[in-house]
Amino acid sequence: MTIVYGVFILLLVTFGAVVMSLEILASNLMSPYFGGSVYIWGSIISSFMVHFSVGYVLGGWLSRRFPRISVLATLLVVCALWVIMIPAIYKPVCEAISDAVVDVRLGSLIAMNVIFLVPVSIMAMVSPYIIGITACWGQQSGFTAGMVLFISTVGSFFGTNVTAFYLISLFPVSRIIVGLGLICLVVCFVVLSLRVDRRIAIPAA
Amino acid sequence: MRSAAIGVILGICLGLLSAGPCRAAAGEQILYEGDSIYHHITVRQNGTERCMIFGRQRDLRQTCIDLARPDASVFEYTGMMFAAFLFRPDARKVCLIGLGGGYIPTVFRLHLPQVTLQTVEVDPHVAKLATQYFGFGVPAGQSLSIDDGRQFFKRSPDRYDQIWLDAFNSDYIPAHMTTREFLTLVKSRLSKGGIVIQNVFCGNRLYDAQITTFRQVFAKVFVFEGSRSGSCIIVASDHPAAADTAGLRKQAERLGGKIGRIDLLAEVEKFKPAPAVRKAPVLTDDYNPANLLLMEKK
Repeated sequence: MTIVYGVFILLLVTFGAVVMSLEILASNLMSPYFGGSVYIWGSIISSFMVHFSVGYVLGGWLSRRFPRISVLATLLVVCALWVIMIPAIYKPVCEAISDAVVDVRLGSLIAMNVIFLVPVSIMAMVSPYIIGITACWGQQSGFTAGMVLFISTVGSFFGTNVTAFYLISLFPVSRIIVGLGLICLVVCFVVLSLRVDRRIAIPAA
Repeated sequence: MRSAAIGVILGICLGLLSAGPCRAAAGEQILYEGDSIYHHITVRQNGTERCMIFGRQRDLRQTCIDLARPDASVFEYTGMMFAAFLFRPDARKVCLIGLGGGYIPTVFRLHLPQVTLQTVEVDPHVAKLATQYFGFGVPAGQSLSIDDGRQFFKRSPDRYDQIWLDAFNSDYIPAHMTTREFLTLVKSRLSKGGIVIQNVFCGNRLYDAQITTFRQVFAKVFVFEGSRSGSCIIVASDHPAAADTAGLRKQAERLGGKIGRIDLLAEVEKFKPAPAVRKAPVLTDDYNPANLLLMEKK
């Protein structure tokens, strides 16, 4: 029992933190190519909101079809690998887009979506996926939808502040992003190796 | 994941709470108060001095002109920046990043009409207020672009004899305009022997990092250290014409000692040919804690 909740909390906190850390770092990736204007923040925040929406819908839908943590964790492995790739891909991507698109608003919006749509959408699946699993799970528990969002948001709080207040002054952005990707990868493998799906009895759907 | 949304909502609430008009001190008149997409801007007048104030930090984030003498430098740093002409007195093309109230373009209009000045300002509202309240206009020989400074240089292939960087506040720096990559771009927009001149505050750790970064890109980096304020001016070039106090003094005398009301001979005394800095990181697009360093006092 405890181990299942432990896995839920680990996933929620980790990906809640990483997604907001990436949002803060996105401004460092965008501003050399599209400027430091308020438009950049508009693009970053609105893009993330779109990715969240995609992830919420997909996560909710997938959790009904495959109410298994292993499926979610496998998707998160893809997400982690993408995050690790970001430092290698963002320069050519931003360079090409800023050369081709004159308007920085459109340019930064396109760049944000090319770079972040896949990983952020997958990260956004974590909360609805876990809510979906707990809803299917016959077990009575205090792990409500509100609790899930609370834990994820606490993670986001730390991800935002630790990044903005400390990490940026300690490490290069590329190294922070690779580090975040590696943390995600390790968490995924830990979760997969614990094989918690055995402990979650889902009544035949 | 919701914290972005919560942050935005909280920001709006706090913004609404703090947006009430500030009270003017005795003898002061508020001519304008409002918001642009970047700042809360107030235009105030005290006697003949009119200031555009960004945010709430009055003394540090404002740009002023004396209406009776629009070419008199109200702040030390604006006068200091004209030391650029000690290095390139023959400059014909100058680019200025950061308009503010338009004091610098006004001096160019009145006293350096032979120079073609390209000004770049990111905030369209600042340009509007400068025109409306500070007598700024775009005379023949000058032009104004509303653009981010780095974007401007990226898109425009024009080269300049002097590039002036004045897009900085005491509490916020556009970090993408502090990096080695940005300075390399700026250097590529200089004509042969061209110089870059930047206004900074000397009292924080960002200053050390900026000098260190400038030294990575330019062969020669000098500083003028303010005597009445915490302002410093960085001058950088690969081929500076003059590089010592005596040479600069001679150059100042050749220019008649003055540009308008700016006393070049007094500025020469602030010259530091080899500024000493503490060990600091080189700022790059990848590693750039500029705004955190700005908060760390030396």
